[in-house]
Amino acid sequence: MSESPTRSLHWRPLTPLVLSTGAALVLAAVVGRNPTPLFLALPLLLAPVAAALAGPRSAPSVRVDLSVEGAAAEVKLEGVVVPKPGVDARDLVVEVDRPSSLEGDPLPTFDYSKGQIRFRANWTAPEPTITEINEPKVLWRDAVGLVERETDLAAAPIVVSRYPPELLRIGAVRLEHTTLLPGETPSRRIGESGEFHGIRLARPEDPPRQINWRASARAGRALANEYDLDKTGDLLLILDARPTPLGREVDARLFAIARAAAAGLSDSFLRVKSRVGLGVFGEFLDVVPLSTGRTQRIRIETALRQARLSSVAAPAERCAVAARHRFPPGLTTVVFSSLSDDTSEDLSPYLRRRGFPVVVLSPSPLPIIAAASPLSGADEELAGRIARLVRRDRIARAWEDSPTIDWDDYWSLGRFVEFVRRPRLRRA
Amino acid sequence: MSSPAVSARLRSLRPVSLALLLVAATYLGFLSGYPGGFGPVLAAAGVVLAAGLRVGAPRSVAVFAPVPVLVALGVEAVAAPVGFGTELVAGLAGLAFLVWLADDPSRPVGGAARSLPTVAVPALALGIAWSSALFLPSGAVPLGVAGGLLALTLAVVAFLVGRPVVFDQEEG
Repeated sequence: MSESPTRSLHWRPLTPLVLSTGAALVLAAVVGRNPTPLFLALPLLLAPVAAALAGPRSAPSVRVDLSVEGAAAEVKLEGVVVPKPGVDARDLVVEVDRPSSLEGDPLPTFDYSKGQIRFRANWTAPEPTITEINEPKVLWRDAVGLVERETDLAAAPIVVSRYPPELLRIGAVRLEHTTLLPGETPSRRIGESGEFHGIRLARPEDPPRQINWRASARAGRALANEYDLDKTGDLLLILDARPTPLGREVDARLFAIARAAAAGLSDSFLRVKSRVGLGVFGEFLDVVPLSTGRTQRIRIETALRQARLSSVAAPAERCAVAARHRFPPGLTTVVFSSLSDDTSEDLSPYLRRRGFPVVVLSPSPLPIIAAASPLSGADEELAGRIARLVRRDRIARAWEDSPTIDWDDYWSLGRFVEFVRRPRLRRA
Repeated sequence: MSSPAVSARLRSLRPVSLALLLVAATYLGFLSGYPGGFGPVLAAAGVVLAAGLRVGAPRSVAVFAPVPVLVALGVEAVAAPVGFGTELVAGLAGLAFLVWLADDPSRPVGGAARSLPTVAVPALALGIAWSSALFLPSGAVPLGVAGGLLALTLAVVAFLVGRPVVFDQEEG
């Protein structure tokens, strides 16, 4: 099997320029019977062939390690590109694509050495987001810049999730436990305190009661207890992906914010071994069935990354019927909907009728609309007040069917967390 | 502007290869025989414009930086009178151009040194061609042989450029 054609040698745009100049000089030399242009043409004509012969004869193997750090809106991407021995890292060109949902200088800073290339980029997420940073494109390029060749890359894309920090601890909330796992008996204890499994390194979000202080003192580093099973309950997340009159762009941004929040919620509850299911309702309900564990986290993360807005607004009853087929009734259900029109308001009553206690978390479109508003001064203030009144009216109407949290500060979910921590209110 | 900033700006110009190209092109312009010092001025203007485009212009424009240099060198070489010194200077200007290309400020430093394998082959060919021109007796027959070899070289280059796969090697 021959090498993939995309990895064969490519002539860069400079090569035709150099070659055509060389050919023109040869022609001028012959026509003018003057050898001087010929001597100038000689290096220009031979350089591309020499460059191709001097480089690697097949796609060089390159390993790329990516990591993302930072908290809240900060996204710090770091990467290391290591070519196989015999290839000078300084002859490699690395192209990193910044995801459209992140802001900042698209070009990372590079630190070249003979054996490896280190790069870092400081980006920011203006809103909560779940996105994927693709593996960088790495090309071998000769020093003169005449030829290039794609590399045989060993790398994987990396997922960036940025959501309000309050969601990190929301998993401690006790949810209604609707179905039992085989052999499971309901725990009488509240919180993260199932069967003891082992000891692991403590994480910043671990509560003090989970830290194993004796073991930490012995080891000289913070260690925490880990439990086999925490019977905190089940959670169903439903995202409304139907179009609204707000328009495609605003809808897409609100949906991206909702996806990020859903990722944060599922992360947090799965960390305490609750079972989490996901439904994305566009034209039909696409579901990730209830489950727990690391695999479920990856399933939900993948589903959320791939979720797209629908172009068709399906009736809400379809969502409720499908949810009833796929999930047991009684599940604590969080619906993410912008509540921008009457159609999006009717999702929670239908779900309630099918036996799902619903809490609506509604990302408000007002900050996005206000930022894009062409108005200024008094007009802007007046328009803002009217929009807030309309929004409050919608939220009030939605409250008649189910508890509804208006989410207008995208980096804070304090109101939502406070609400779900009060079970009496939650059951209202 | 502070001293480190000036120093960084100067380094991004890659002064060694730039000076090499400037000297070679200006000298070729001097030998080209244009009246009123037009040759050196054209060469200097071409090189300065190219350096400015590389350092100051956006990336989409900076890719055209070699054009002014190639135009200036071409105009000078076409008008240059026949002479062994002129031919050598023209060849050296071509090599200096390749070295300058390798010293691209958007890539890591040391490009000129790493371009040695690429520049060495044309340099070797240039040396052979120039010494042949200098030492071998000339006449109608050698001119015909040289013309034939030149045409063959052009055909080989065109073939190689048209089929980059010939540079690939099957992995064992």
